[in-house]
Formats: sequence, structure tokens, C-alpha cells
Amino acid sequence: MTPPCASGEGDCMTQLLQQLINGIWQGAALALFAMGYTLVFGVLNIINLAHGATFMSGAFFAFLCVTRLNWPLWCAIPVAMIGSGLVAVLIDRLAFKPLRSLTAGGLVLWGGFILLLVGLVGDWGPPVKNGFTIAGAVLMLVGIVEDYRTNRPLRQRDVPHLAPIISSIGATFILISLAIGMFGAQVSRFPPNLFPLMPYQITKNAVISPIQALVLGLSLALMLALILLIKRTQMGRAIRAIAWSERTSRLLGIDVDFVIAQTFFISGALAGAAGVLLGLAFNRLEPTMGNEVELSGLTVIIVGGMGSIGGAALAAFLVGMIRVLSVAYVDSSFRDAFVFALLILVLLVRPSGIFGRSKTVRA
Amino acid sequence: MKSRIFVFSVLSALCLVGIGATGTLMATAGTGLSGDILIGAVWSLTGDAAVYGPSQKNAAALAVDEINKSGMLGAAKLKLMTEDDRSTKEGAIAAFDRLIKKEKVIAILGPTLSNSAKAADPIAQDAKVVVLGVSNTAGGIVEIGDFIFRDSLPEFAVQPNTIKVTMDKLGYKKVAVLYGDDDVFTKSGYDVFKKGLEDKGIQILTTETFKKKDTDFSAQLTKIKGLNPDQIIVSALAEEAAGIMSQGRQLGIPESVHIIGGNGFNSPKLAQLAGPFAEGAISGAAWFIDNNTPGNKAFVEAYKSKYGSNPDQFAAQAYAGVYILAHAIKTAGSSDSKSIRDAMANIRDLDTVLGKFSFDAKREPVHPPIVQIIKNGKFELFQ
Repeated sequence: MTPPCASGEGDCMTQLLQQLINGIWQGAALALFAMGYTLVFGVLNIINLAHGATFMSGAFFAFLCVTRLNWPLWCAIPVAMIGSGLVAVLIDRLAFKPLRSLTAGGLVLWGGFILLLVGLVGDWGPPVKNGFTIAGAVLMLVGIVEDYRTNRPLRQRDVPHLAPIISSIGATFILISLAIGMFGAQVSRFPPNLFPLMPYQITKNAVISPIQALVLGLSLALMLALILLIKRTQMGRAIRAIAWSERTSRLLGIDVDFVIAQTFFISGALAGAAGVLLGLAFNRLEPTMGNEVELSGLTVIIVGGMGSIGGAALAAFLVGMIRVLSVAYVDSSFRDAFVFALLILVLLVRPSGIFGRSKTVRA
Repeated sequence: MKSRIFVFSVLSALCLVGIGATGTLMATAGTGLSGDILIGAVWSLTGDAAVYGPSQKNAAALAVDEINKSGMLGAAKLKLMTEDDRSTKEGAIAAFDRLIKKEKVIAILGPTLSNSAKAADPIAQDAKVVVLGVSNTAGGIVEIGDFIFRDSLPEFAVQPNTIKVTMDKLGYKKVAVLYGDDDVFTKSGYDVFKKGLEDKGIQILTTETFKKKDTDFSAQLTKIKGLNPDQIIVSALAEEAAGIMSQGRQLGIPESVHIIGGNGFNSPKLAQLAGPFAEGAISGAAWFIDNNTPGNKAFVEAYKSKYGSNPDQFAAQAYAGVYILAHAIKTAGSSDSKSIRDAMANIRDLDTVLGKFSFDAKREPVHPPIVQIIKNGKFELFQ
């Protein structure tokens, strides 16, 4: 409420560097999240609202590795990425694929999934409970293989745009409920002393803590890896081809279904990495932790231009900076208002986002 | 229905006794109660406020056991029905509904959070069921109606004392303030601090806010650090307070700058959550573990042996709450909500673990507050 710069104590400049650091490392984590988000949109033209739940699952996978299996952190992060990547693939198979083309395998998969949930939730003794769970898991595996092998779907249709959004909201609730069932609704925490706590002094007035440095470094590395993957590899070319036209890619002999699964895996792994990193940085894990980042992520991909990976990365840094600078130089009560004002402004000036191109060319 | 049957049976019992010898009348008049007296309790056992709820639940159960064993209520026994409100308003409303309409309780302890109390207490007021808040400290709780009481000192009774005591010792002149602006408790804590600071003529360099469930406070804290305050006043619940302390110290706010707060700090969990960063945090409180109040030592011992950990302020207030309620039931000599309400409103200088306890005319609690500081991960008296 008191503008700090008006007081004339010279505190404006001294805090600037620290505020930039605060903004940059969080922007980096947000960029990881948003790039996967926008990648799936670019390829499939759907908004995967379960991306936030995938983010949460990554944090909890790492939590499991560190607390129950006593694995070191450097090995928990890749495991969490793979785990949440697989969660994203499963979300595609369960929530999106049946909408694109429904197969007998898909139905088996759903049957197995329901059996698995019944097994997990059911209030029986271990033999019955385990029986249900294992039967469900086996049935799901069979379903996935069968689903993948089927060439002729039972039904192939153009569903309304809203349908995948609704089914991904459903997937979010299922994942959150599962996490509440396993870890409880309260806040879980990584054990203390997992990471050195005391920050590095950069200049007299600016510090960065080891975990923030890790978040920044790892996020930048993963961003670079993703961009190389998309631009330089065969897989990246296939992804871009599908984003341009699914039908043409099919005619060219690209295994569209497999490439979509890969896309979901990459997107989920990035979200999972963001989940672990932010979970570590704030040491606060809870089943609903994805909801907030979901909203920021959505803002970021709209501002960046739907489907544009570089745009999402830049917009994430922009949003991170605006959040921090609005607190620093205006008023902390209006922090989120500023972010959404930016969103509206961008939509007014460039309806397709800063880096959005015309409708047909993406990724 | 149940309460009417109770009243009827109590009255008929009294009549019967009245026909008999006057000697027996004297003996049974005060304890003309029998059977189970249902009381409800609504705690936040899961969710954000789960750091407070479990110790309240434990302490209330302990007090009910003790009262039932001691025969304080004669032939009658207290029966406690506990509900979890999941730290949400909706959960508290549902719990109140169930306890009042289905279980037909005569009184409710809780809910844990002021935010939930504002939403749920009107239900009890409408149904004329006594509510005794044992951890609500925001303003505007007892104003809901004449059936609403609390034994937890409101922020406005504690914090002016906190500012006075800390100012005498630390002699600060300029502070920064940080508070949650979307929660009834943290907002009203802020209002009280602000007034207290203004009364003392202390300069507020900046007022920063955050939202419930925020995890990142680095922007606000960087700004505060740049202004070089003597102390930082924080109105937050334990979860957020722990984040603020950790991030503040990591940003290099020196140890000489204490973080001073309200009731949200008064859980041993805070030291657990923030680890070494909680050192030196100061808070105003209603109770303190080494308090020299009637029955406090016995309570701490009993709690420790039953649950294996030290009680906190929330446990003490819940424990005292059950005794206050039992005292009111005993004085009323009936399980009728209205007479219990009247008996409760007349409580003056009752010996509790919180000290000499009274209700004032507005049903607000009156007893002396204290100031405590975290040292080596434990609360100590600040002096």
C-alpha cells in the first residue's frame, strides 16, 4: 500500500536483482509445465486439463521414492518424470483416445480400470482386494495392447470440442482422489535436510538457494532438450507432421497413435519434473497442488500462442516476472490481477497470442 | 424430542425426591442428571488446519474421560461425537447440520477455524444449540448470537499485550507487516496488529498481503528486506507462517529481526515445519506449557502419558472448553440448552488450565494472556 520507490530510500534498485531472480526461477518451472501443455494442444488440438494432476503425480512419485524407498534425490527426479509420463499416456488412453476412435481394446482397458479402482477403494481383506487390483491391472495391460493393435475402430467420430475438456476434468478428479486416498488430504513434506538450505550469495543484496539454482538449471536443460527433440529428431518431425495434418501423416505411413502416445509421455514427464521441482522448492505437496499451476499454465499458453513451444517458454518467464514485479513495485494484493490483465491485453492486441501463428500451422 | 424427555424425567425425578426426605433432596438436586448427555465437537482433522485439529480432538476426549470417571455430573455421562470439517466452511456446515439435526446434541465445541465458525455457527444459533468455540480468535464470532461462546482469547485481547511486551524488551520503531487478506482469522489479526502498532506510534514501512494456499512469499519478503524493518509482524496460519519464516531467512533477513505473530503460530508444529528458521519467532498466546494455573501440571502429564506428546495451546483450550461446558451443565442441573446457556453466561472466575476464567457480558473469554518465543524448537516464555 505504500509504494516503496516513493520513500526515496534507494531500496528500489537494491531489491531489483533479487526480485529478478525470484521471478526467473519460478518462470523456469512454470515454463516446463506450460511447454508440455502447449505441445499436446499443438498436436491434438485439445486442452488437457488433467495436466495439473499429472504435475501433482510427479511430485508424489518423487515423494514416494524419497520417503518410502529411501532413494537419493538425483534418482527420484528421473523416476518421477517417467512415472508422470506414463500417467499422461494413461490419461490419453482412458480420457482422449476413446473419443477419437473407440476400439474393443479401449473398452477392455476401461473395464480393467474400473476393476482396479474398485480393488483400490474396496473395503475387503487383502486376498479379495489384491485379486481385484491385480485382475484390473492385467486387464488394463491387455486392453492397451489390444487397443494399440486394432486398426479398425468400432466407431470413429468427430466429437464436440468440449468433450475432451470434460473428460480431462474427470481424469483430474480421479487422480486427485487417488492421491488423497494414498497420501491423505493434508500437506506432505519431503524430509528436511534433503537439500542444503543456506543460499549462495550472488551480490551483497541478492541470494539464490541451492534448490532454486537446481530448478533453474534443470528447467533450462529440459527446455533445450525439448526444443532439440522437436526440431532435430525423427520423432520431433513426426510430431510436427501430425500437428500440421493428422490425415496426411497417416498417408505418409507415420504411426500416428504411437506418436501421440510419445507426445503425451513427453508432456507428462515435463509436468512431472515441474511438480518435483516446485514441490521441493516450497516443500509442500498436496493432492490439489496442480489446480493453481493449471490456471497459470493456461494463461501462459494463451499469452504465448496456443501450440507454440517457444512462445510458452517466453510467456512463462513473462508471467513469472510480472507476478514478482507487481508485488515489488505496486501492491501484493493485485498480483494475480496484473497477470490476468496481461492476458486480456494480449488477447486484445494479438488474439492468437504473442507467438501464435495462423490457425493451420503449429508446433 | 430427546431433550424434552430429559427435562420431563429430570422434573419427575425432582418431584419424587421432593416427596421424600429433605436430606436426600439436598444430595441430588445438583446432580439431577442421568444417562448420556450428547455433545458434539467439530475439528479440522484433515486439510490445511490439520496441524491444529488432532490435538483438540485428543484433549477434548481426555477431558470427557476425566469428567465421566470423576462423577462430576452425578449419574450422567458426557458422550462426545467428533466430526471432521476438512478445514473448510462447507465441511463445518455439514458437520453442524448432522450433529444438530441427526444426533440432537445439546452443545458443540469448535469448529477449529474462525472462517468455518462464521459460516456454521448461525445454524446452531437458529437451532438454539450452545456453541463453545475453543480456537476461534477472529472478531465477530460471538456477535453471531446469544448461544455462541468461546474460551479462546480473541486476537484483540492478546495482541495489544504482545506489542506492549515485545516493545518494552526489543524497543523497535519501524516494522513491516505481512498478512493473508482472504481469510477471516488472518485479516482480523492484521486489523488488531495495525491498531496496536498505531496506538504505540510505531511506523509501518509497508503492508504486504498473500492469499490462502500461497507457497511463494519471496517477492513480498524481498521487498520487506529492502526496507530494513526492525521487526516483521505476520498474521498467518502455521502452514503459511512456516513458509514465510523459511523463505525470509533464506533471503537473508537477519536473526535480529524477529517474526512476531498471533494465534496461528501457537502450535509446536510450526517449529517442526519451519525447522531452524522458526527460531526467535514470537507470538501472543492464551496458554503456555509451563503455566502455573490450576490443574495445568496434571493436564500436561495426563496428556503426555495418553498421547505421547506435549499438549499445545489448542489442546489446553479444548480441554478447558469441555470443563467449562461440564461446569455449565452441572450448574444448570439439566441438559436443556437454554438453561445451560444461562449457566454458561454466568461463569465467573472458574479455575481452569487457562487460569481464572470468566465470560464477560458479550460472552467473550476473560483471562490473562502471555507472550512466548521459539527457542531451540520449543516455546519459552518471552521475558
